[in-house]
Amino acid sequence: MAIAKAERLMNLALCLLGTRRPLSKRELRESIEAYLEAGTDDSFNRMFERDKDDLRELGLVIETVENLDGEVGYLAARASNRLPPITLDAEEAAALGLAAKVWQQARLAGAASGALQKLRAAGLPEDVDPYGPHGALEPRIPVHEAAFEPLMLACRDRRPVVFDYRKATAARPEPRQVEPWALECWRGHWYLAGWDRDRGAERVFRLSRITGKVRSRGGRFGAPVPDVVTVRETVAGWAGETADRSALIRLRADAGYPLRAKATAVRELGDGWDELEIPYGRGLDAWLVEFGPDVVVLEPAELRADVLDRLRAVAKG
Amino acid sequence: MAGKPVRPVNAIDQTRRMLSLVTYLRERPGARVEDVARAFGISEDELVSDLDVLPMCGTSFRGGDLLDIDTDGERIWWHNPDDVAEPLRLAADEATALLVAARAVATLPGLRESDRQALLRATAKVETAAGEAAGASARLSVTFEAEGGVFADVDRAISERRRLWIRYYSPARDELTEREIDPIRLVSVGHTYVEAWCRRSEARRTFRLDRVAEIRILDEPSAPPEVELRDLSEGLVQPAAEDPEVVVEVGPGGRWVAEYYPHDSADELPDGGLRITLRTPDPASLRRLALRLGRDGRIVSPPELADSARHAARDALAAYDGVEAHRAHEVRGG
Repeated sequence: MAIAKAERLMNLALCLLGTRRPLSKRELRESIEAYLEAGTDDSFNRMFERDKDDLRELGLVIETVENLDGEVGYLAARASNRLPPITLDAEEAAALGLAAKVWQQARLAGAASGALQKLRAAGLPEDVDPYGPHGALEPRIPVHEAAFEPLMLACRDRRPVVFDYRKATAARPEPRQVEPWALECWRGHWYLAGWDRDRGAERVFRLSRITGKVRSRGGRFGAPVPDVVTVRETVAGWAGETADRSALIRLRADAGYPLRAKATAVRELGDGWDELEIPYGRGLDAWLVEFGPDVVVLEPAELRADVLDRLRAVAKG
Repeated sequence: MAGKPVRPVNAIDQTRRMLSLVTYLRERPGARVEDVARAFGISEDELVSDLDVLPMCGTSFRGGDLLDIDTDGERIWWHNPDDVAEPLRLAADEATALLVAARAVATLPGLRESDRQALLRATAKVETAAGEAAGASARLSVTFEAEGGVFADVDRAISERRRLWIRYYSPARDELTEREIDPIRLVSVGHTYVEAWCRRSEARRTFRLDRVAEIRILDEPSAPPEVELRDLSEGLVQPAAEDPEVVVEVGPGGRWVAEYYPHDSADELPDGGLRITLRTPDPASLRRLALRLGRDGRIVSPPELADSARHAARDALAAYDGVEAHRAHEVRGG
C-alpha cells in the first residue's frame, strides 16, 4: 500500500530539521521508506521536488548546499526555522483564537489554524473560551469567488496574471493582463487592485466579474507597486458614495427612511410631502426611481431628467 | 460557537499540524487526548489519526530513530522526546491568514475596547515574531461594516440576556416597523446582522444592523426558544423551494442583478443580457428592482409584479406633472 503523503512529508521535514549537515538526495531516498518505494529515479525526483515545495509552503526554510564533491545537499537549519520567542497573555490568546476562526476560505482557514497551532506549541495559553467575554460575536470573512485563491497567491508572489473580465455593463468578457497588487474585501465582496498592462493604468476589479480561470504569466512586474493601494475609495466612487453635489427632492411623508437618514436638510411642506436636500453622487437616479411615486426630483435638472427618463421606460413597459 | 469551522483535511494541513503536535507533546508528557484536541481545534478522531502516523516518522536519516509516541486513548506519551521538536516559524500564508483576520476583527465597531486592545497587542507581537513572513499580509485586507452604537447595544443585550425594541427599515416595503426581539447572536458577513427571535412574527429573523433606525434595551429578559443555529456560510438569504418564482430579463446594463440576487438560473440572451429565474417569499418586494432597472430590464413573470411596477412609474410621472403645475403657479404668484 502506498504510504500516505502526510507521513512522507513529515519524515522529510524531520530528517531535514534533525540533521546537522546537509543530506544528499541519495541519503534522503535511502532513509525515507516512501522514497524507497517510489520506483524509478524519475518518479522519485518528481516526488522529492514536489515535497520540498510543499514543505516550503508550510514555512520551512530549506537550504540547498553543495558539498566538496559537488553533490547537492539539503538541510533545514534550526536557527532559520525557529520561531522567535513570543509571549501572549490569556486575553491576547483569546483574541487571536477568535480571529483565527473568521476565514471561510479553506486555504486561509487551514493556514490560520496552522498559525494558531504553531503558537500553541510555542506556549500560547489555552483553556480560554475565545467567545467567553464576548458571547455572541461571529465575524465571518466570506469568500465565494473562485478567482480569490489564485489571485491571493499571485499578489503574495508578485506574479503577473491574465484573466477574462466582464465589466458591469458589458455583455462579453475581455482578457485583461494585470500586475496584481492587493485584494480587499468590502461589504462582503472582494476586489483586486493592480496595474492593467493594456491600459497602462491602475485599475480595480471586482472578483465576481472575473470569468474563467486566472492564469499566471512568467516574468516580473513592470510597473512600480505603490506603497499604499486604495481599493475602497475607488469602489465607494462606483457606489456613488463620494458625492460632491447635492440634490433637492420631494418625499412623501413617512416614506423613504434611508433618504431621510442621508438628508442634510428636511423641510415639512404640510401637504403630505417633505422637501429634502440629499447628497448627489453616482447612481442616485437609479436609487430614487426605486421609491416610485413617493419621490419627485426638483433639482438639479439633469438628475430630474435622468429619473424621468427611467420612469418613462418602466411606464411604457 | 456555532457554524461549521472549516476542517483541514489535506496532507499539507495534516503535516503542518503534526509538526506542531510533536513540539506540543514534548512539553507536556502524558497530555490528555481531550485537551490536546481542544488546543489544536480538531476532533479527537483527527488527533488519533495523527497519532497513528507519528510512530512511522523518524528524526534521523539513518533510520531506526522513529518517534516513540503512543496513547492509551486517554493520555499521550512520547517516550524518546527529541530536540528536533522546536517551535517553528510562521509561514507566509499562516502569518497572512492570522494577521489579516486579526486586523479585520479589530475594525469591528462595537468590539469591546479591552478586546480590541488585546487584539492589537497580539497582532503586534505576531507581526514581530513572523518577521519577513508578515510582509505579504499587507496585500490582503478586510473591512467589516457595522453601525457602532447599534452593535454595542445588541452586544450588551446578548450578554445581559435582555430583550430589545427596534425600529427596523424594510427596503422591500419601504417602511419602518417596530418590533421586540430576543437577540441570539451577531453575525458579520460583509454587513453585520443580528439573528433573533422576533416576538411580532414569532419566528427567527435576521436584521441588518445598518437598517436599524432606533434601538432600546428593554428590562424584560430575553427568552429566545431553543433554535438550531444555521450554517450561514452559504449566505444569509436562502430562498425556500416553495417560494414563488420570479423571472427577470435584463440587458447588458442589468447583468448586476445576477450578482446581487441569489438565483436558480441565469441564462445568456443573444443581446448580451440574461434571463434570471429567482425565488422570493414576497414577489411584490421586487417592485423596487423593476423600477430601478428601467430600460435595462423587465419582469417577465409574475404579470402582477410587472403591472405594479408599470403603475408605480405612471403614478410617479403624474406626481411630476403635479409638481410642475404647482411650481409654475408659485412662480406666477411670486
